[in-house]
Amino acid sequence: MSSSHDPQLLKGSLSLLLLHLLAEKESYGYEAAQRLQAAGFADVLEGTVYPALTRLEREGRLATRLVASSSGPARKYYRLTPDGYRALSSGTALWARHVAAVDAVLSRPLPDVPEKGI
Amino acid sequence: MPQNVSFIDRLRIERLVWALDQQLYDLPRRSRIAHRREVRANLRAAAAEVGTSQALRRVGGSRALAKQFLTAEFGDGPRHSWTAATAFAVLVPLALTFFLGEAANAYQNAITTADPQVTGTFTWSGVSYVQSAVRFDARQGAVTQIGGAFTPLVYILLPIGTIVCGRLWRALPWLRTRRTAE
Repeated sequence: MSSSHDPQLLKGSLSLLLLHLLAEKESYGYEAAQRLQAAGFADVLEGTVYPALTRLEREGRLATRLVASSSGPARKYYRLTPDGYRALSSGTALWARHVAAVDAVLSRPLPDVPEKGI
Repeated sequence: MPQNVSFIDRLRIERLVWALDQQLYDLPRRSRIAHRREVRANLRAAAAEVGTSQALRRVGGSRALAKQFLTAEFGDGPRHSWTAATAFAVLVPLALTFFLGEAANAYQNAITTADPQVTGTFTWSGVSYVQSAVRFDARQGAVTQIGGAFTPLVYILLPIGTIVCGRLWRALPWLRTRRTAE
């Protein structure tokens, strides 16, 4: 399977993406991974999402509750804490500034590309 | 469409959960059990959706998953290992006892080989700094051993070795918090 996203970029933005998805709707681990994949991040493996959720929970940005499931063991649902909402807000602003700065550089016109061998 | 998760599929899931659990022993017990339950529930849900093989593949293997969970819990960089500390604390005294016992037995065998009907008291000074002297009381070839206990130095070095081997200072909460924040 070819990777459609730079892993380093994904690593930097995964927490923000998860915070946003969980702010929209509380989800359990597999559901969050599914929603991330449905949003276009098809190459993000569940094995990356679960530890990222653990880290966010440890940092106090996510709270959890167990919900009984008819099809198996109880599922651990994640939702944002007030600290999580603050992190999402500041992270979104930071991301917007980062994208604007990168765009500003990438949109500058380039001089003519020299031909090969010259 | 949800699929049935067969008994064999559940065993495959349990195999991964068990393998993951074995690699999370450095986590606090409650946290380890919580991870185990969560991964099991997620894998069951995924297996019902996309099939067990695909669900297991997308988790990426127990070793990589355990590594990421440990990093998520303790942060990047080197961390302590309760497993290594426990292995040192258990295996080193056992090994020392075995080798010192064998050495004393060799000394005893030397006494009885030289004279099978030996009578008298013999003293082996033992391994310096590690054990006290071992006294052999022989009567008509029957030998009893007294002594050979670990010295106080060993009882000081064992906890130090355990801490060093497991890098247990890294488990200190204030040090972990500082490293995570960096």
